[in-house]
Amino acid sequence: MTPLSFVIALVAFTVFGAVFGCLIAGVDRIITARMQGRVGPPLLQPYYDVRKLLAKENRSLNGFMGYYLVLSLIFAILSGAIFFAGGNLLLVVFLIGLSTLLFIVAAYSSRSPYAEIGAGREIIQVLAYEPMILLMPVFFFFATGSFNVSAIFSLQYPLIVILPLVFAGLLFIITIKLRKSPFDLSYSHHAHQELVKGISTEMTGRNLAIVEITHWYENVLFLGYVGIFFVWVHPVALVIAVVVALAVYFLEIVIDNTFARVKWQSMLGWSWAVTLVCTVSNLVLLTVIIRFFAGGL
Amino acid sequence: MLIIASLIIFPVVVALLLMVIRNEAARSALVIGAVVILGALSVVLTVQYLLTPQSFVVPEYLLEPIHYCALAIGLACTLYVLVRAIRAKKILVILLAVGVGVLIVVYEMAFAHYAVVKADLYVDQLSIIMALIIAFIGGGICLYAIYYMRDHQKHLDHEGHELPEENDPALLKAARMLLQDRRHIFFAILFVFLGAMFAIVFSNRLSWLLVGWEVITLCSFVLIGYTRTKEATNNAFRAVAINMSGSLALAAALIMVAMGTAPIFELDLFIATAANSATGGVLALPVMLIAFACMTKAAQMPFQSWLLGAMVAPTPVSALLHSATMVKAGVFILIKLSPALGWNLPGLFVLIIGGLSFLGCTALSISQSNSKRVLAYSTVANLGLIAMCAGIGTPEAAWAGIFLLIFHAAAKALLFCCIGTAEHHLGSRDIEKLDNIFVRMPWIATFLAVGMMAMFIAPFGMLVSKWAALVSIAESGHMEMLFILAFGSALTFVVWAKWLGKALAVGNTSDPETGKAGKGEFFTLAVLAALLVIITLAIPLVSSVFVVPWLKETGVVLGLLPWIQASDVLGSDNLIIMSIIFLALLGLLLAQLLKKRPEQNDTIYLAGVGSDKDERGYSNSFGEVVDAGHRNWYMDKIFGENAMGRQATIMIGAVMVIFLVLGVVLELISL
Repeated sequence: MTPLSFVIALVAFTVFGAVFGCLIAGVDRIITARMQGRVGPPLLQPYYDVRKLLAKENRSLNGFMGYYLVLSLIFAILSGAIFFAGGNLLLVVFLIGLSTLLFIVAAYSSRSPYAEIGAGREIIQVLAYEPMILLMPVFFFFATGSFNVSAIFSLQYPLIVILPLVFAGLLFIITIKLRKSPFDLSYSHHAHQELVKGISTEMTGRNLAIVEITHWYENVLFLGYVGIFFVWVHPVALVIAVVVALAVYFLEIVIDNTFARVKWQSMLGWSWAVTLVCTVSNLVLLTVIIRFFAGGL
Repeated sequence: MLIIASLIIFPVVVALLLMVIRNEAARSALVIGAVVILGALSVVLTVQYLLTPQSFVVPEYLLEPIHYCALAIGLACTLYVLVRAIRAKKILVILLAVGVGVLIVVYEMAFAHYAVVKADLYVDQLSIIMALIIAFIGGGICLYAIYYMRDHQKHLDHEGHELPEENDPALLKAARMLLQDRRHIFFAILFVFLGAMFAIVFSNRLSWLLVGWEVITLCSFVLIGYTRTKEATNNAFRAVAINMSGSLALAAALIMVAMGTAPIFELDLFIATAANSATGGVLALPVMLIAFACMTKAAQMPFQSWLLGAMVAPTPVSALLHSATMVKAGVFILIKLSPALGWNLPGLFVLIIGGLSFLGCTALSISQSNSKRVLAYSTVANLGLIAMCAGIGTPEAAWAGIFLLIFHAAAKALLFCCIGTAEHHLGSRDIEKLDNIFVRMPWIATFLAVGMMAMFIAPFGMLVSKWAALVSIAESGHMEMLFILAFGSALTFVVWAKWLGKALAVGNTSDPETGKAGKGEFFTLAVLAALLVIITLAIPLVSSVFVVPWLKETGVVLGLLPWIQASDVLGSDNLIIMSIIFLALLGLLLAQLLKKRPEQNDTIYLAGVGSDKDERGYSNSFGEVVDAGHRNWYMDKIFGENAMGRQATIMIGAVMVIFLVLGVVLELISL
């Protein structure tokens, strides 16, 4: 990752990340509506929502919440930019972690009991997905010999071939990261299963708009995590990766609409169990592959 | 040479003066002066060393008196503990003290006294780092102690005036004894502690190391028992029992290597021999015994109870024990041993106990709402992580371990001191009760938040070090540790994120800044916070000037190729990116904090009419006020001390025993 490629990626991700994120959110709402037998809003509804939120009068509890949220947005963009510039995968993971922390702190800063419950649940969500998110770059390193995302472009075969179980584990916990049922404990789009409005209870107007925009960027980044498993030196690889990422998002919408929210104990237990089983068995698989196909695959 | 000697001796002289001076103003002036001089000395040493590296032989005419002096000091420490133990009828401590005393005499008189060594004292980049930590962070805590102990004594005097009319003169005397002003002893011991730490850091002669080890055990004993309450005394004895069992192991290890066919009396020679015996086999048991001693000092599980018990002492003691001294002596020696560790029995021993301590204590700290207990558990956890890095035995892991050590020292000192101040002014150390601290003491809360973020999140120091640890584990192929680190890091996030949230909550207290810290106290806290920030910014510099050269030189001395080729684990570009992000984040936070606070024009949603602007409560339909507070998640049923504390301790204890038995058996077989 050279400074120049980083700056280009930063500008590109700031613009296109938001556009794609917004479009994905729009499609999500239409598909969800169709699944529920409704027509649904226009494609650009998420954009209209955010524009309306931005136009609202700014009512604030304190000067800090909005500030933390802006920082959270900045680090989400930075993290995504480093990812798409082909930078260090662990750096990406740590920066998006900082972004999440700032979001949590923003909720706590209101000192509202409902927001605190949501923030506490968000922390439990981090506890559930973080081991997998930390292990993924290490397996990436085992497979490619580098922590840099750009390493995938010189692979002779996509990562999914040797890391299928890590991919499965990632698919499981990405439901939490995309804030989809059954793991949308802290902040849900389904009003009937929400406690007031979870972590965003006290976020209104401009603040809520920032939360939505941050979420767009995050979604694009997480779909990027999915995509890197399907890229190799072949020219059509990027197309395949995009198609798979979108298919995964469709799968998540299906899951979102077929499951009800679970208790935190189930989420935590299942996430950790899946993480352990997937990573350990993939480790065994990797060892076998290295033993039998050393240099061959 | 002169500077090293003065770093060791000067604090002791100051301590003697402090014992005599009872006047508070004079004492404060002396402490401040001494801390400044110590800081200056350590900086001069650093500059001098960077210009011309050196090691030292003490002139021969001085050796004899120093030997006797060291022996006398070592014995005196043991004797003091012995007398106290006999008076308190602590059988275990009596036995241990006698054992340690006998071994020290045997070692000194039978082996070490006439030993000729190449270098008595040595300086390298690692000991310079430690010296700077001791001088600056330890010194900073001594400054803080001036103000803390003033409040502490005021509180005691206040209690003294309100002593109940007691008819029983014995009870009255006991009550009076607890309230006595014994601060001269307190400060004297603080400085002895610093002096002994310098002795440990610079000694190459193993017998002097052993004496330093005994002195810090004694210092911690006196400081933990300082308040003289029953609880304090009991905890002090528990601490000394655990630490003396470590000393016993250390003394036994030294005698073992002194009895060998090629006796060893120097630390560098010991490490070189251990590192170069192909399997680590020759010195496996001595290395394990020394590692055991280090783990008792570093309060690794199953010995964490002494460090948790130590928080009965005044807060500066906790700050000192956790950051610049005591536990750091343990991990410092472990890092020095690290070239001898790796894929061998001692290496696995250190690695596994450290890793399990990291995981276990991080999980346990989730269930704590007492802030000092959270800090204590997190110390054990982080020291476990450092031990784990040392156990891996690769230069990359050592790099991570050294940075963990540096940042843990800086962050913990700040955290403990902030909590001490908050407790004095707001009357509680409970995280839930301190949840309005950001409104009442905004700056203290900010320092606290900086300290907490330094412990777990990018782009702060601990995370950078943890990142390096993850990379070095991935490269070394210790898969089991990979999982421990991944799950442990997720648990760490929970511990700190929920506390950070509470500490930064902006409530509606109508009397803001009720708790105002004194100027001196505030100043020292600001200095500690500034130190933390400066080191974080200086990571690339510290790495290239101190840490990487140390790894390389260690490699050259020991003839280990991977160490000679050591470099920045994360690559300097990533380190620089982190520094830039850190600077940006810090600037933004500071700008926000200095901005005038905007007018609040909204209230929180409480599903009812808010009853009071200050408190979180609402009026229900009967007109009653309902409290709408919310406690954090502590998950007692999963992570509580009763749920998993004891089991984890027993399990890790069993693992430790298995390793030691294995070590002894292998030793016997090789005989």
